[in-house]
Amino acid sequence: MRSPDAVPVRGAPLRPLLAKELREIVSGRALWTMLLILCPLVGYSFWQAVVLYGEASAAARDSPVLASGLSPLDGVLVPTFGALYVAVTLLFPFVAIRSLGREKETGALRLLVQLPYRVPTLIAAKMTAIFGAWLLALVPAASAVVIWAALGGHLHAPETADLLFGHLLYGLLVGAIALFAASISESSATAAIIALAFTIGSWVLDFALAGQPGALDWVARLSLTQTLRTFEQGLFSIGLLLGVVAAIAGFAALSAVWLHPGIPPRTKLLRSCACVAAVAVVFALATRLGSSVDLAEDRRNSFSAADQRALAELRAPLLITVRLAPEDPRYVDLRRNVLAKLERAVPGVVIRLATTGQSVVGSTGEEAYGEIEYSYAGRTDKSRSTSPREILPLLYALAERPVPPPGAGEDYPGYPLVADARPALLWFFAGLPLLIVLGWWWAHRAPALPAQLVKDGGQP
Amino acid sequence: MTGSTAIARNRTAEHPTALMQVVGVAKRYGEQRALVDISFTVNAGEVLGLIGPNGSGKTTLLEAVAGLAPADGGRILWRGTSPAPSRRREFMFYLPDGLRPWDEQYVARVVEFFAAAYGRPASITAQAVGALGLAPVLRKQVGALSKGYGRRLMLALALITPQPLLLMDEPFDGFDLRQTREIMAVVRNVASNGRTLVLAIHQLIDAERVCDRFVLLADGRVRGIGTLADLRAQTGMPAAGLEDVFLALT
Repeated sequence: MRSPDAVPVRGAPLRPLLAKELREIVSGRALWTMLLILCPLVGYSFWQAVVLYGEASAAARDSPVLASGLSPLDGVLVPTFGALYVAVTLLFPFVAIRSLGREKETGALRLLVQLPYRVPTLIAAKMTAIFGAWLLALVPAASAVVIWAALGGHLHAPETADLLFGHLLYGLLVGAIALFAASISESSATAAIIALAFTIGSWVLDFALAGQPGALDWVARLSLTQTLRTFEQGLFSIGLLLGVVAAIAGFAALSAVWLHPGIPPRTKLLRSCACVAAVAVVFALATRLGSSVDLAEDRRNSFSAADQRALAELRAPLLITVRLAPEDPRYVDLRRNVLAKLERAVPGVVIRLATTGQSVVGSTGEEAYGEIEYSYAGRTDKSRSTSPREILPLLYALAERPVPPPGAGEDYPGYPLVADARPALLWFFAGLPLLIVLGWWWAHRAPALPAQLVKDGGQP
Repeated sequence: MTGSTAIARNRTAEHPTALMQVVGVAKRYGEQRALVDISFTVNAGEVLGLIGPNGSGKTTLLEAVAGLAPADGGRILWRGTSPAPSRRREFMFYLPDGLRPWDEQYVARVVEFFAAAYGRPASITAQAVGALGLAPVLRKQVGALSKGYGRRLMLALALITPQPLLLMDEPFDGFDLRQTREIMAVVRNVASNGRTLVLAIHQLIDAERVCDRFVLLADGRVRGIGTLADLRAQTGMPAAGLEDVFLALT
């Protein structure tokens, strides 16, 4: 039974807590510094992307085939948002750490945890503030999208939204990692080192382990940057979404576990293990969820609609044995052009790398190296091609089905555009930075005092 | 039964108005025993002083009582029941020493945040601001406050909270003599309005002026509990001040 003089912990208003967390983030220099750095970064990336896209467009002006290779997603949006990615990777941790690190350093945390809010509520409020900071960080890149549209550039709403959503997930993931780092560290500097170990460590994983065989490939897939890759290709993967959301929730939960100074370390460790186990279960589920939606306008992640329908009807298991080393460029081609699409289209496809553990150098001498064997319904065929134009007819033959006729009007036209983006540089190098400085001034202005506080609070 | 536990139980029997009982609290930092079997009672409406030199365990004890540092043993009873450490904030608020929280925020916003979080009316906030003389610095950033105003802000936050028990660590640190007397008057006024206060103080003269009862701590152990008269009787020094009593018992 609650004592009559107890202060209830639940039901306290959230608005003051959210306002306080947002104020904490915007009152620090880290956010505004990041925004000021983002302006030229995004601006230069955008300008350069538009220039290169324009040069390619000029060459493709009279050639529909060349034009069909010009996608604004690849040519302009991904490079422009690449600047946001760099800033979120290297600078956003400092912004997110501030939401907790400063409170730990000044001792304010010991006041905060006594307020009538549950610890998960405190963490949720901090994550909301981090989301707010990410929205501000999005402004330069979002303004580049607007400028691109104003220049007459083509935008396909679903793939653009997919790219934005991928960056949102990546930003929240980096933010959650930074918050966790702050919750286990006594100082912001230590927290920054931990957070950067995650983000920069991901680059190391990408560069050092990507394409490596076996377990190393699995480790490389833990890289944070893998979060973005799928979205940058216009693919919306339910499994990836579930996995990333689980990772964000897991880091936030770990932050909550380690936040309160009054919990014994042993209890924190036990609760952390429970969190990690729960996230691992969700990860395992996520890897089994293969469903995804191809939101790219050029349908780069899918075969033609007719092929997709025909392949979806292959109900027996399709076993593909690839005799290529994972780092072999032919395997990379095969993976991108055929295998990834087959995994999405055929219900029962099993892909087996027969050269696991071997390198290109150690395998190329073998006669069978380079062969890809396809087995379906007891029939088998081999090919060395990495092109769907040769492989799909082979598969239809194995399944004893006719090759579907190509659909009309499915070809991606491409969107060449020669535009002058130089005026945009003025916005990114002068207009937007000026607005950011004004925003900094507005966020730091002294508050107006409530009349009663001035009237009654004046006399000691 | 250890000595301090026995003292505490006797005092609980003597004081049926016991608001909180601290029973056998212990805390170690590695090999060092920071708190050894600490037991005492806090009565409703009193100002209880935790008295001891620097390093005697006052802060550790307050943090353990408030649930902000895990204790290795012991219990905290609130009106006879034992709330979990996470629930103690429903009954008590602990004001740590030497804080300058949210230093880039304006004083008015920090004060308003506390009031809004607890759903306190504007009149209570204004009263706390007025009592601590904070009005001139409401539009200053916390980090720009002088040490004295920083302490006043912390005290104002404590006054805004609604819990019946306030634990304060060195509330008079950073004030000159005149200011200390002002703050003591504020503290006595808070107690006379029905709140209970536990103050950790290392300045014995200050403690003697403001506290109703004392818990004397040295080396993490309780060396004496009671009013000044009780302690004088215990030491057989009928005319002694708190300083002499403390030296005699420790």
